[in-house]
Amino acid sequence: MIVSANLQEAARSLLSAKQRTILALIGIVIGIGSVIAMVSVGRIVQDEALRQFKEMGTDILTIEKDFGGSPGGGPSKAPASLKLADVAAIPPACPAVAVVAPSVRGSGEISFAGKRLERAAPMAVTASFLDINKLTIREGRFLSDLDQQSQYCVIGSEVADELTKLGARPLLGSRIRVGTHLLTVIGVTSEVPTGGMRRFEPNEMIYVHITTGLRIFANAELSTIMARVRPGATNDLAREQLAAYFSRLKGPQVRITSPEEIIAQMEKQMQMFTLLLGAIGSISLIVGGVGVMNVMLVSVTERRREIGIRRALGAKRGDIRGQFLIESVILSLVGGLFGIVVGVGASWLIAHFAQWQFSLSLGAILLGVGVSSGVGIFFGFYPARQAALLDPIVALKSD
Amino acid sequence: MLTLRDIRKSYRIGPTEVDVLKGVNLEVQQGELLSIMGQSGCGKSTLMNVIGLLDRPTSGSFMLDGAEVSYTDDDALSEIRNQRIGFVFQQYFLLSRLTALENVALPLIYRSTTGTDHHHRCMDLLKRVGMADRAHHRPNELSGGQQQRVAIARALVGSPSLILADEPTGALDTQVGGEIMDLFKILNAEEGITVVIITHDPGIARQCKRVARMQDGVILP
Ligand SMILES: Nc1ncnc2c1ncn2[C@@H]1O[C@H](COP(=O)(O)OP(=O)(O)OP(=O)(O)O)[C@@H](O)[C@H]1O
Ligand SMILES: [Mg+2]
Repeated sequence: MIVSANLQEAARSLLSAKQRTILALIGIVIGIGSVIAMVSVGRIVQDEALRQFKEMGTDILTIEKDFGGSPGGGPSKAPASLKLADVAAIPPACPAVAVVAPSVRGSGEISFAGKRLERAAPMAVTASFLDINKLTIREGRFLSDLDQQSQYCVIGSEVADELTKLGARPLLGSRIRVGTHLLTVIGVTSEVPTGGMRRFEPNEMIYVHITTGLRIFANAELSTIMARVRPGATNDLAREQLAAYFSRLKGPQVRITSPEEIIAQMEKQMQMFTLLLGAIGSISLIVGGVGVMNVMLVSVTERRREIGIRRALGAKRGDIRGQFLIESVILSLVGGLFGIVVGVGASWLIAHFAQWQFSLSLGAILLGVGVSSGVGIFFGFYPARQAALLDPIVALKSD
Repeated sequence: MLTLRDIRKSYRIGPTEVDVLKGVNLEVQQGELLSIMGQSGCGKSTLMNVIGLLDRPTSGSFMLDGAEVSYTDDDALSEIRNQRIGFVFQQYFLLSRLTALENVALPLIYRSTTGTDHHHRCMDLLKRVGMADRAHHRPNELSGGQQQRVAIARALVGSPSLILADEPTGALDTQVGGEIMDLFKILNAEEGITVVIITHDPGIARQCKRVARMQDGVILP
């Protein structure tokens, strides 16, 4: 059996039944296309998230109070809290750490001129916070270390817009009520794209100095510290020094997270996400595959006479099976190639409208080719087997 | 080269068993030109399909070139059909998608030996049956007689030692049928190919060296 003759034969027979071939192609194009689109959108989202995260800097460790396990302390016994002085003493004690930025999340009703600001959230920070989070100032100034215990605040761009809408002119000097305290706006941070990897929404924040926050926020507790690693030092070294420092303190248990860990975790999550999307796409692929099977079964039935003739001329069962398998694989592969084009096009469109950075993933294309030939073999096998098992004389006598 | 002993073939249609071949005994020597005649429905085509290894008998012994045919190995049967037997059917059975030349080459596709001379051999055979100028025509562009010529070229392409023709002239007029018959006679005389022809036409049968008469599932002695 000559493969090239078989290929030619398969192409010819597919072309001779154009309508049917095209219908089957549509099914497989949609199937492969949706798998490719899903998988490559998954990849694009993953890349996008990583990119945003890396933009934040991969030299920042996050230290959080570990509420889960303070040794020996039951859940009823409140664990000791971090002290501001201890945080301030981190850089001298840990040479690999350049800057620390502790923060406290606040709560409480926020209003301006008697109107509630629904989307604003208070947070107490230090002067180092701005830099470490790659934020910039649009108007006025940020909090400085001389603002301890002051009633000043710096607001995010969205809060600023809201205030302007409510008639705050000039913006700087306006007074916002947080709980029972009146805070004077001294600066506005520039807008940052939403959906970044920060654990807060910078545009919706009202920042006060950490000393102020610890005083005015209800149940305020120092819980998160960001630490920038000194250039030249490794994240691991900084992490070791920090761990040693906190265990010397005998204060609360802390958990130190490095960007590598977060990236690894994100990648794992994204892989699951991509897998899920791929699985959803696979359902339409199965439908496409059943379409191929249907077309091949019809083809086998229609060509019984031909099968009989070939068998009479000496074709073995395997030759007949091969002929039909090649046909279904070609059908699926051609569908797969179009499907790749459609899928990549669709993911480009999605990325374009979501303003994500589009990237063509070779993996998705290989997946498309692999999956479509797999579909061809899997769904072509049964019809090919039917063809091969036909009795020569029965096939020859049929019309 | 062919020895059939008590070949029986029956079909089961629902609860009833229909005996079509009822103990055929037949011997065909190498180089014979044999015709089989008989009434319609007496089992001629059934017998030919058994001889051509397209169908298997219900019972009986069939020796081909001195060896008992075994029906357990389907691939071996295919190989014998491919290497040693050439078929010519009443309905020609050319593949309509292929040209005359490609139809002739078809049996060679199923040979493990990949010859480069296929093209030449097929063209030679088409020339031989007088169809060289129609090599690139498809069957629906050919007359019945022309299609049968192509089919004969196809039967010859594998250099078979046996040609089985089931009413090869049945769909042709007397003159064209005569030309086809002449081809068989030449093949038989010049190359010593054994030819078995099933026919209703006494004129055709008369041209054969031997005529076997079949009646109701048996060959008359
Ligand atoms: N698959 C089958 N199932 C049942 N009966 C069959 C089958 N094939 C053939 N027969 C029966 O076998 C008998 C012989 O058929 P066969 O085709 O061999 O006749 P024939 O001698 O070639 O006739 P003709 O000259 O008309 O071609 C017929 O009665 C037919 O009905
Ligand atoms: Mg017949």
